[in-house]
Amino acid sequence: MRVPVIVKIAGLTLGATAFYTWVGQLVPQKEVQPPQVVQMSQDIGTDEMVRIGDEIFHGKGLCSTCHTIGQGGAALRFPDLDGVAVRAANRVPGLDQLQYFAQTLYRPNDYIVPGFNPGMPEIDKPPVGLTDDEIKAVIAFLQTQGGEATITMATTLPYSKAAGGAGPGEMTADSGGEGAAAAGGEGGDAAAAPADGSAAERADGGDDA
Amino acid sequence: MSSKRIVLALVVVAIGLVTMVEGARWLDRSFAFRSPLSEKAGVERLQQAPPTPREQALAEQAAREREEAQKKPYEEAEYRAFPVIGSRTAIWIVAQVKLLFAAFVLAVPMFALIIEFIGFRTKDVRYDRLAYEFVSLLSPAFALTAAFGGVLTFMLIILYPKFTNYLMSVFSPTFLPYVLLLFAEAAFFYTYYYSWGKVGKKTHLFLGVMLNLVGTGIMFIANAWLTFMTTPNGISENGAVLSVWEAVHNYTWMPINIHRMIANLAYGGSIAGAYAAYQFLNAKTPEERAHYDWMGYVANFVAIAGLLPLPFAGYWLASEIYAFSQTMGLTMMGGAFSWLFIIQAILIGCLFLAANYYLWMGMGRVDPEHRKRALIPLLLGVITLGFMVWATPRNPITTPAETAALGGAAHPILGFFGVMSAKNTSVNITILATFVSFILYRRSGKTPRVGWAKVGSAVQVVILLLAATIVISLGVIGYRVEAQVRIGLSVPQVLSVLFAMLLVTFLDVIMLRGAKSAETHWGRMPERSQYVLIFLAVTFTWLMGLMGYVRSGLRQHWHVYGIIRDTSPGAFTPTLGYATKVVSVCVLLFFAQIGFVFWLAALNHRKKVEPYGEVDEGDGGDGDEGTALATPEVAP
Repeated sequence: MRVPVIVKIAGLTLGATAFYTWVGQLVPQKEVQPPQVVQMSQDIGTDEMVRIGDEIFHGKGLCSTCHTIGQGGAALRFPDLDGVAVRAANRVPGLDQLQYFAQTLYRPNDYIVPGFNPGMPEIDKPPVGLTDDEIKAVIAFLQTQGGEATITMATTLPYSKAAGGAGPGEMTADSGGEGAAAAGGEGGDAAAAPADGSAAERADGGDDA
Repeated sequence: MSSKRIVLALVVVAIGLVTMVEGARWLDRSFAFRSPLSEKAGVERLQQAPPTPREQALAEQAAREREEAQKKPYEEAEYRAFPVIGSRTAIWIVAQVKLLFAAFVLAVPMFALIIEFIGFRTKDVRYDRLAYEFVSLLSPAFALTAAFGGVLTFMLIILYPKFTNYLMSVFSPTFLPYVLLLFAEAAFFYTYYYSWGKVGKKTHLFLGVMLNLVGTGIMFIANAWLTFMTTPNGISENGAVLSVWEAVHNYTWMPINIHRMIANLAYGGSIAGAYAAYQFLNAKTPEERAHYDWMGYVANFVAIAGLLPLPFAGYWLASEIYAFSQTMGLTMMGGAFSWLFIIQAILIGCLFLAANYYLWMGMGRVDPEHRKRALIPLLLGVITLGFMVWATPRNPITTPAETAALGGAAHPILGFFGVMSAKNTSVNITILATFVSFILYRRSGKTPRVGWAKVGSAVQVVILLLAATIVISLGVIGYRVEAQVRIGLSVPQVLSVLFAMLLVTFLDVIMLRGAKSAETHWGRMPERSQYVLIFLAVTFTWLMGLMGYVRSGLRQHWHVYGIIRDTSPGAFTPTLGYATKVVSVCVLLFFAQIGFVFWLAALNHRKKVEPYGEVDEGDGGDGDEGTALATPEVAP
């Protein structure tokens, strides 16, 4: 029996479509839900902040889309963050570790790590849009990459809403308190912002995170 | 029919109408006063007796609800739900099917005009007839495009009223020109189609040019709306309009315009090729087979001509996405959508393999034993290798134990083929190999008469080898340099391939001018070649659907990226498995309807194919070397 042409064409169309649909089922299946604000109590400890920061780093913050941890080599498009806590302390003269981390997240285009292109979004604005507390948690996680987390929920970060958006050299008592300008809190080993505003005058900020 | 019968029929219809109207009026009167008892006695009882406590409570409840409804202020709904499949999937399917038809009706006039122009210049009436047959596919497709456009607009207003309102407020100055262009397109299309052969050729070509210009204008305006959603521009952080022109001229507007024009050409060519194949397979005479074989060849030529530069337009589009937002770019290539590009690689691999296979089979039209056929296994090997590299993922799907055994997420050897350096190299080499297939096909049965033919051919080979060497060398260098340099290497890779293709084509054209040509036996193609054309059309359509998904899906949970957040239940990004199912539904819906278009066009054209050329009687059989026609060289 000769199969009608139209049946053959229909069979081919269905077969090809089914094949491509099948290929679509073979790849990893991940449904990405819209990110929700992470509810963080003000009395959680640094260890808990590190845990939450780890989750945000690999999820809502989209950090791991671009940054690796512990994969060196030329194939990287953005800096690998293994040991970043050590580098952050001295990366930009005039900025301590915490100020540098804050700058890389709030004002990433102020300083670009040599050998890389600008590309990091301002993390407190859409589309990522992390809250100040979430950013603190991410910084806590980054501090554990080659160092020890010292940030606390009481820390007032430069550029944050609590600091009135002021940078390290611009913060006043009104914009977060002089003593708490950068490190603050009970665990802060990072120095407060330089009073002379030297860091604020730099235009080569950070892009490490 | 006698006049008495007509009068009788009219009287019966009139009586029927009066009866229906009176019946409806009676029902209307009856329903208004019908009680739960539904009997006349019950009605009287309700009118006379006091209401029962239940009836009283119901009446009071109804009064309260009426009062509350009166007090309720007007609120604009943000979203409305579509039953069963949800609003997002419903819009997705309608938009995609509409786009497929729109792409087709924009593409066909482009190559129909070129073919008509060739016919005008060469005075060969067959080109003119071919162009007319291509355009005849448009009439029903045009109506379907408009119908789906209307459905899409209404569904957007119903299901996403607030967002649609926002989009309309941003782009309000563009709507009037858009509507006027739609009218102009309809006017030019129908004039172009119905005036064929009835007005002067130059006037007719002018109409074709205008049809294309207007169609392109429509596409450019619609592209502004959709690209704005992905890469917004000209608005404040809160979404307030600062500049409509900047909103139109956003990061991805022009790259999408160019990418779509080329993709439409490739896709439209493939659909027209499927029509030719359908007609070829249903052909009753050798003349029909010859005609539709030629039509299929021309359509496939258009599709491949569009396919070859498409990756280059894709590079530009991707680079603009990265320029707008590295986060979005990396979400596309390295995040949620990275595996989609593995599916895309498989589709494009199938396209290249099928297109080359069709070209190789086509060599049999001229000279089945041509010595250049010996190169086919080599080309097949190169294209297959390119396909394999392109489809290799950086991080394979592994269990934790397998990952531990591999020593990391990437395979120690295959992992090197999963990065962009390898993929850029493989796609450029695959394009070069396909170009070589085309050149071989073009030269089948031709003997150059120029004295420098041997040197010319040698120079062509050197140019192609040089381009391949540059592409591979830059690919290898890409592994050894930092990111900043590596990203820039794709440009010289692309340019070397483009330059080589242009130079070799130029040499080929002047070398074969006045060449001695063997007869081309149109129609001497195996039946399977026609199924290859249909497979190409299905694959192109599926690819359009998949890439449409990623272009739109890149916004993730945003209506307008970073500005207007999607808070509807469908704001999540679905799995690729789900997405591919939706794409398949769109493809099948489209083919069910385009099949109807083909059938209509076939009704119109079956009797118009006239004999041309002398008949080359084949053995018939299963069609592999079936009846064929010998014609002079007519291929473009």
